[in-house]
Amino acid sequence: MAGQIKRMLDSIIDQRAKGNPILMQTTKTKLTLKGLDPDKFNSASPDDPAVVEKVKAIAAELGTHV
Amino acid sequence: MSIITAYSTKTLPEAVADLKAQAGRCTPCLVLCFASSKYDPFTLSREMQAAFPGASVVGCSTAGEIVGDKMLTDSVVAMFLDAEVVADVAVAVLQDVRGGDGVGQAFAEFERHFQAPVSSLDIQKYIGLILVDGLSGAEEGLMEKIGDRTDIFFVGGSAGDDLKFKATHVLANGKAYTNAAVLVLLQAKKGFEILKTQSFKSTGKCLLATQADENLRKVVQFNHKPALEAYAEALGVPSAEAATLFMQYPLGLMAGKEPFVRSPQRVEDGCMYFYCKIKQGMELQVLQATDIVADTRAALEAKKAEMGHVSGVIDFHCILRTLQLRNEHRCAEYGAIFAGIPAVGFSTYGEEYLGHINQTSTMLLFK
Repeated sequence: MAGQIKRMLDSIIDQRAKGNPILMQTTKTKLTLKGLDPDKFNSASPDDPAVVEKVKAIAAELGTHV
Repeated sequence: MSIITAYSTKTLPEAVADLKAQAGRCTPCLVLCFASSKYDPFTLSREMQAAFPGASVVGCSTAGEIVGDKMLTDSVVAMFLDAEVVADVAVAVLQDVRGGDGVGQAFAEFERHFQAPVSSLDIQKYIGLILVDGLSGAEEGLMEKIGDRTDIFFVGGSAGDDLKFKATHVLANGKAYTNAAVLVLLQAKKGFEILKTQSFKSTGKCLLATQADENLRKVVQFNHKPALEAYAEALGVPSAEAATLFMQYPLGLMAGKEPFVRSPQRVEDGCMYFYCKIKQGMELQVLQATDIVADTRAALEAKKAEMGHVSGVIDFHCILRTLQLRNEHRCAEYGAIFAGIPAVGFSTYGEEYLGHINQTSTMLLFK
């Protein structure tokens, strides 16, 4: 399997931004500042378990669910 | 009458009387006060609050002051905002920012004041200001926790102390604090914009922090090599020379095409210390300095054109930018960028916008 991290990050962004393009960008920036640049992941990115756990933790920090 | 700025180089208590005289008939609901560390912060905060009892008075110590078209030292500057600009305002002080997380408590105070959850407030009407003890090392954590809880933008800077690096203070409620932050949440009656500007271009060289101690703001290795060695290699110079080029070649954490600058501070045993935390695994671009005056003028002109009218600017301006301007004898040129706009600001030990950043000006512009 691959692409899980991208799907999770996209979900976080969608939940926070609710379609607002400004919030989409600021949420992406907040993720980057937390150490996870969404632009570095795509549908072919391997599902690194350590990164998956990190995304889950960040999702919780941002009040979202993945 | 909406935004008035003032400054004084008199000593206390005359300086406060001087500022009050310059405020004239303005009845501010918010007063910002940025002062050289030559002013006793406790006396200044107490006297300013007493002079403006109907206002929320906040401020901090600085590494240089900005007012109007002037870049000053050894002064106190102030901005007075009345109800034509600020429809409502609340202030919260977070103490022990190194040890604790007071953001929740601060937001609870805001919710009591505005009678609504902060998360429900319109991000286009409400804007936050943040002033932090510049020696606390707590800025990154604070900005992250604020950003977790709200999408309201908080803009601000880290207090300075004229490059003594002994004690910086934030001011609020007639008091002065260290190891603390002041949060201001205000409803801007006519709107606002934020400008984050930094004068760098990417060199195209990347450094991956392969070993870092985030809490010490320390990178041990870039690209699996001793940090300074890898940095020097990226610049194509010997390590000894690289250590002299920090201000011209800082690093940038790229959010899209936008750099969030991380400025190197010093070297120790081949490790690099920064003015900002760098997480292990972060990939950073090596940046190269461009023209601060030209870039800032262009950015501000573009923002002014977008806004149509700017009634006031608060400029949180990195001390490293100020030092560069001083070295180049271009402080007057930089000040001239703000000619005709009520402007106030100070030279900071770091800037805040979504995160903690360096060698940047973060500005709040009122419509």
